[in-house]
Amino acid sequence: MSKGKVAKDVMIDVFEFPHIPYWFSIRQAIGIAKKSLLSSEKCHHPMAVLVFDEKYNLLGTLSLKDILRGLEPKFLKPTTKAQVPAEDESGLSLLWDTLFDKGAKEAAEKPVSEVMVPAKFFVQPDEPITKAAYLMVHNDLALLPVLENKKKFVGLVRIREVFDELSSSILEG
Amino acid sequence: MDEIINRENPQKLYVQLEEIIKKKIEDKEWAVGSKIPTEEELCKIYGVSKAPVRAAILELVRQGYLMRQQGKGTFVCKRIISEGLTMHTSFRELMLEAGVSSSTKVLAQTVMMPVDDIDVKLNVPEDTHLIYVKRLRLVEDEPVLLQEAYIPHNICPQLLREDIENNSLFELIEKKYGIKITKIKDYIEVTTPAADEVKLLGLSGCSGALLLEQHFYSGDTQIMYMRSVKRPDRFRFLIELERRAA
Repeated sequence: MSKGKVAKDVMIDVFEFPHIPYWFSIRQAIGIAKKSLLSSEKCHHPMAVLVFDEKYNLLGTLSLKDILRGLEPKFLKPTTKAQVPAEDESGLSLLWDTLFDKGAKEAAEKPVSEVMVPAKFFVQPDEPITKAAYLMVHNDLALLPVLENKKKFVGLVRIREVFDELSSSILEG
Repeated sequence: MDEIINRENPQKLYVQLEEIIKKKIEDKEWAVGSKIPTEEELCKIYGVSKAPVRAAILELVRQGYLMRQQGKGTFVCKRIISEGLTMHTSFRELMLEAGVSSSTKVLAQTVMMPVDDIDVKLNVPEDTHLIYVKRLRLVEDEPVLLQEAYIPHNICPQLLREDIENNSLFELIEKKYGIKITKIKDYIEVTTPAADEVKLLGLSGCSGALLLEQHFYSGDTQIMYMRSVKRPDRFRFLIELERRAA
């Protein structure tokens, strides 16, 4: 199954994704996501922004979902009430009205470092893509950084390439 | 009749609008000292969104055609044009007092996308990756200058790994990477420093600072935008003007 295929065979260029430093506010990140991801003619998959420190070390990733979560404090601490029980629709409409209200504007001033998904997992360029698949599936990651010598950020592995490689052998079977 | 924005024109909308406004000023249709229409009114007149209107106004403010007054509006400025006196300006790095020891602290050397109006200042598309450099200059261990530089990543990607603590960006770009800087546009003003600038420069809360904005060009391409905030008490400028041979 995809014998010999390693991370560097399927990784993509880091400059395919917008970059921001960790001190940017969520508001600034929204502006960048709109300009660089939503308004761009290029098809971005997954839609994410990379977050770096002041020495260009990758700190984390920020998806559109992470931004929404950061804007609405109720999303950060989900309550059972926010889980859409079908039998209580009248009460829910009131609840939905309170989401993304005034609090969201205040929350937009928080730094992105508070809402990004930290880059805890990575692969090295010569490690097998099966390891990348394992890390991505077990940690629910859409993107996995590729680090050279465990330090230099050289690329990103996406689930689509990993899926493509690993599933081919099933169809070839 | 009013000029109109041509959406088929490959020129950016804000550039077209800038030309239209500039013409109105130069033709004296909008007199010196008069208030120009608001951003909303310009959007309606020219059928464009706020972004190009803002960008055009900002550029004309930078070029000295317009002046913005907080809460009052935007006004046509009196310009002093030195036509017939073509000058060659050679810029020298801001000079510290001779004989003092100075050092540089690198606060950031990373990559970011343009925020606020940095894309307009650099004249690059909104989704351009920029190398961002932030340095604090110290004289006798006292902070005197805070400098932020933005360079399109594709112009000189190697700068991201260069030693910028001990080397000047200007020299690295020119001498090491062979990108000849042919023109620098400087804008100097007194500014109210932001909270982090006050803290880093050790300024007292109410003091002003000098702001130097520099646009570096290689031919027609702008290769760097630099914003320097300085303590006014520790700097002096040296600007040498030489008359270009006719």
